[in-house]
Amino acid sequence: MSHSNTATLSNEIHGDNYLNHSKGLKSWLTTLDHKRIGLMYLATVLFFFLLGGIFALIMRLNLMSYGHPVVDANTYNKLMTFHGAIMVFLVIIPAIPGAIGNFVLPMMCGAKDVAFPRLNLASYYIYLFGALFATAALIGGGVDTGWTFYTPYSIRTSGPVILVLLGAFIAGFASILTGLNFIVTLHKLRAPGQSWSRLPLLCWALYATSIIQVLATPVLAITLVLLMMERVFKIGIFDPALGGDPILFQHFFWFYSHPAVYIMILPAMGVFSEIIPVFSRKPIFGYRAIALASFGIALVAFIVWGHHLFVSGQSELANFIFSLLTMFVAVPTGVKVFSWVGTMYKGSIRFNAPMLYAFGFIELFTIGGLTGVFLATLAIDVHMTDTYFVIAHFHYVMVGGSIMGLVGGMHYWFPKVTGRMYNETIAKWSFGFIIFGFNLTFFPQFIAGSQGMPRRYWSQLPEFDLWNRLSTVGSWFLAVGFVMVAYDMIRSARKGPIAGPNPWEALTLEWQTPSPPPHENFIETPVVTSWPYEYKPSRG
Amino acid sequence: MSQPLNTTGVHHHAHHFDSADHEFQASKQGMWIFMVTEVLMIGAIFVGYLIMRARYPEAFHEAHKLLNVKLGALNTAVLILSSYTMVRGVSAAQRGNNKLTIRMLMTTIALALVFCVVKYFEYSHKIHEGTLPGGNYTYAELSMPHVPLFFSFYFIMTGIHAFHVLVGIGLMTWMIKRVKSGEITPEFFTPVELVGFYWHFVDLVWIYLFPLLYLLG
Amino acid sequence: MADQKNTNHPQTGHEPDVNANQGDHGHYILPDSVALKTLLALAGLTIITVGLSYVHLGPWNFVVGMIVATIKAALVAGIFMNLKHDDRANAVIFGSGFLFLGIFFCLTAPDALFRGDVYVNGRPLTLPVKGVAKFKKAWEPTPEIVAHGKALFAQNCVTCHGEAGLGNGPAAAALNPKPRNFTADVGWKNGRHPAGVFKTLKEGIAGGGMASFATLPAEDRWSLAHYVISIGPNVVKDTNADLAAVGIADPTKEETGSDETPSIPVNRAMEFIANEEAASGTGSANVKAGVGQSDLSGYDRRLEAHTFAPSL
Repeated sequence: MSHSNTATLSNEIHGDNYLNHSKGLKSWLTTLDHKRIGLMYLATVLFFFLLGGIFALIMRLNLMSYGHPVVDANTYNKLMTFHGAIMVFLVIIPAIPGAIGNFVLPMMCGAKDVAFPRLNLASYYIYLFGALFATAALIGGGVDTGWTFYTPYSIRTSGPVILVLLGAFIAGFASILTGLNFIVTLHKLRAPGQSWSRLPLLCWALYATSIIQVLATPVLAITLVLLMMERVFKIGIFDPALGGDPILFQHFFWFYSHPAVYIMILPAMGVFSEIIPVFSRKPIFGYRAIALASFGIALVAFIVWGHHLFVSGQSELANFIFSLLTMFVAVPTGVKVFSWVGTMYKGSIRFNAPMLYAFGFIELFTIGGLTGVFLATLAIDVHMTDTYFVIAHFHYVMVGGSIMGLVGGMHYWFPKVTGRMYNETIAKWSFGFIIFGFNLTFFPQFIAGSQGMPRRYWSQLPEFDLWNRLSTVGSWFLAVGFVMVAYDMIRSARKGPIAGPNPWEALTLEWQTPSPPPHENFIETPVVTSWPYEYKPSRG
Repeated sequence: MSQPLNTTGVHHHAHHFDSADHEFQASKQGMWIFMVTEVLMIGAIFVGYLIMRARYPEAFHEAHKLLNVKLGALNTAVLILSSYTMVRGVSAAQRGNNKLTIRMLMTTIALALVFCVVKYFEYSHKIHEGTLPGGNYTYAELSMPHVPLFFSFYFIMTGIHAFHVLVGIGLMTWMIKRVKSGEITPEFFTPVELVGFYWHFVDLVWIYLFPLLYLLG
Repeated sequence: MADQKNTNHPQTGHEPDVNANQGDHGHYILPDSVALKTLLALAGLTIITVGLSYVHLGPWNFVVGMIVATIKAALVAGIFMNLKHDDRANAVIFGSGFLFLGIFFCLTAPDALFRGDVYVNGRPLTLPVKGVAKFKKAWEPTPEIVAHGKALFAQNCVTCHGEAGLGNGPAAAALNPKPRNFTADVGWKNGRHPAGVFKTLKEGIAGGGMASFATLPAEDRWSLAHYVISIGPNVVKDTNADLAAVGIADPTKEETGSDETPSIPVNRAMEFIANEEAASGTGSANVKAGVGQSDLSGYDRRLEAHTFAPSL
């Protein structure tokens, strides 16, 4: 890639950048700059990650030892509901698209901003507004439905269910607007020479994610509206007492919420598709396959939701169809994993923190993905449903996938965002704590789950004490790891050494501009002349 | 700013676009994506309706007879006509005939209001009779199981559609204001065209709603 | 901020879409005559739809009605919304909405419209099976029924209990407590006689690995019970009291197929809920769902049995 302005970039904090372009709180709250909006998203997402994480720690503490609960059963149910709802709707779904995607995607295409900057800001405030409703429900007594809001229980139970539903409903529109913005940006705002076949893989992944956001989220919106109407007007579509069908609710819910799982994982795959070639100093293996696999996953995402209903009373016919279709998820994800490993093969690997997160991601995601194949198998799922096996599988994919992507991406783009370098030693230690703590937390849950330990229970039997104790201790390591990351980032943002425009010697466009980037991203609109993954081992 | 200025110089495209046309194409694509979300949102209720209708055909058939086909057909005609006046309004804006645009937008609003009035009469009749959704159904002369379900769908589907009509009236009023301000020119008519899209989409939904609810039951 | 690049570097315009050939302000403006013709076509099609609804074509009414509606929708989208002359990507975008809606319907329907068929060995179990039972008095051991039980044992039981019934099947390693050894006469939870085994097969054993096999028809469960007893140290017979305990009041009468439905289809469950709520008058919102609470699962019962004082 030849860029006329690369040579002129100095290794100093660029004079006029997006951080000091305008000053004051108001200039942030009313900004239309995608980079600032990305950072605002990041700050809010991390706040809710902390909140959801604290709930998880309390729940783990509660389950640590048989007979020594920390909270009462009703509180536990509410913690469980809010841990799920917050982590899904307010953390993982907006995390990578809203924060990292917003910051990086326009720069990767060589654009000055996203297509609709006002909608982008609106998306952030809509998200915040939805989050406020959820928080209001939390303060207003809590909700015990679980994040899935299954009918008919969610119609009958008391508590501010409608507030949570409204929160998720509103936050959904934020997700739609982000997706809409990205699709149009990718179609209309690529820099000269930035053809589809030269587009970085994170852009491809976010494109596929956006398609899911646009196509699936509206169904969630209407589902939640219908559920609110059930509670307010007794419309009875999902209420068996009024002739409705509660399982239809599950179809409506999972038609969104299964694809939503891919909204969560696809961007993380994109992040690591960027990190792995940079730190392996090798061209990415199977560029086209990885890009197409993102769309393969997006498509398959829409045809497998019924595997959440295997034991709900869904018809045998549908069970069979969905079990079969679910197996297909393994194909595009397998293509991706092998492509990443192929990229690393015989590369000159640099063991910086982002690359460590990539290793962690591949390990955890592979375990999570393969146990997903177990659960797709109808006969095994009937046995495993509603056990901790499912919990472990889900967390291996979501934490091991999405959160690894978020934290790995935060390290990778940290020098670009702040202009300074994080502390590599702390970063490596924190990675160690996270990977050790994560496996210690969730691997025992596979074992306990396969022995029948049910999920969503306030108390467990003494025979599971060993696994529960290991898991709780693991959660502390995990928490320490995240706190170390936070400490490192907050400290390095002010005191870290100056990073320079391109500390990783990466070839994608966002690194070909000063750090932190100027207000309009590039000093001069870049002209792309080659593929962004032409790494040569000798350069390292 | 060195981009090709339009004649009045009122509208400048945003800094991250190359030209006004570039911005127009991007906005239009954004609008199409928005309409896809509408298709999925409203369409999901259609899916629920079709499933329940397939499962309880007799109940839905009996229930649909309680709807007034004449009023439904009248509203269909009104909406199709309003789509036509909208098209004329947009093409007038594209040709720079702002006077005609305003006249056509006003006609469209008038037709939308006619639609709302007819809908109001239909709704008040239903409320009076007690053919209400789910647990509120009190109509004594038809007490088959699952009939109330039909009215749940009827009220939600037409209710969401009516909500879109009201939003459309608001958008068109806003457009009249913008056309009057002289902002809309043959070089820049994006908002009018996009509101036009929205209004046609509202018509398109009704094109499916009318036969599904009133005619086929 | 001066936006100089457009004039100074004409080649720096953004990468155009392959299909985006709409540039240069070449907007297509819909001629009034075409708009009017479209309006007339839409009006005509509306009259056709209304007219057709008075002709009885059976299910074809629906199909024809939807086809006419789709033609009308295509006219509105293609001409009024100008999709015909637009960037093809927009047509793909709009079309994908309907495609995915179609997926939603096509994959929900196999469940929602085919509910309630629970098959075991190719036989629907939604209704009590009458008149097809092979064994009229399944609680009486005969060589045929024991042979039938042996076949079923190979299909359903050997993974845990082992081929010889010693409780040492391949899956037994992971189980604690270990599966029952059928050749020993100790520790049988519901007693070592056919009716006891029948009860175990129906309910499973709470707190152990033994699952409920209630999805098997009663005669199959009896067959298994007789086979399991037959491989033990001695063959034990049921007393009338044993049989009465599992609902066989009069062992001399033939099986009437009155064993309750092994698996309640969702539709039936929904009816039960509706009836119960109608009876108790609690159909309104904000009432705690009683569904499932009266019948605690085995795990809940065990939890309840472990009484402890919460250290709050």
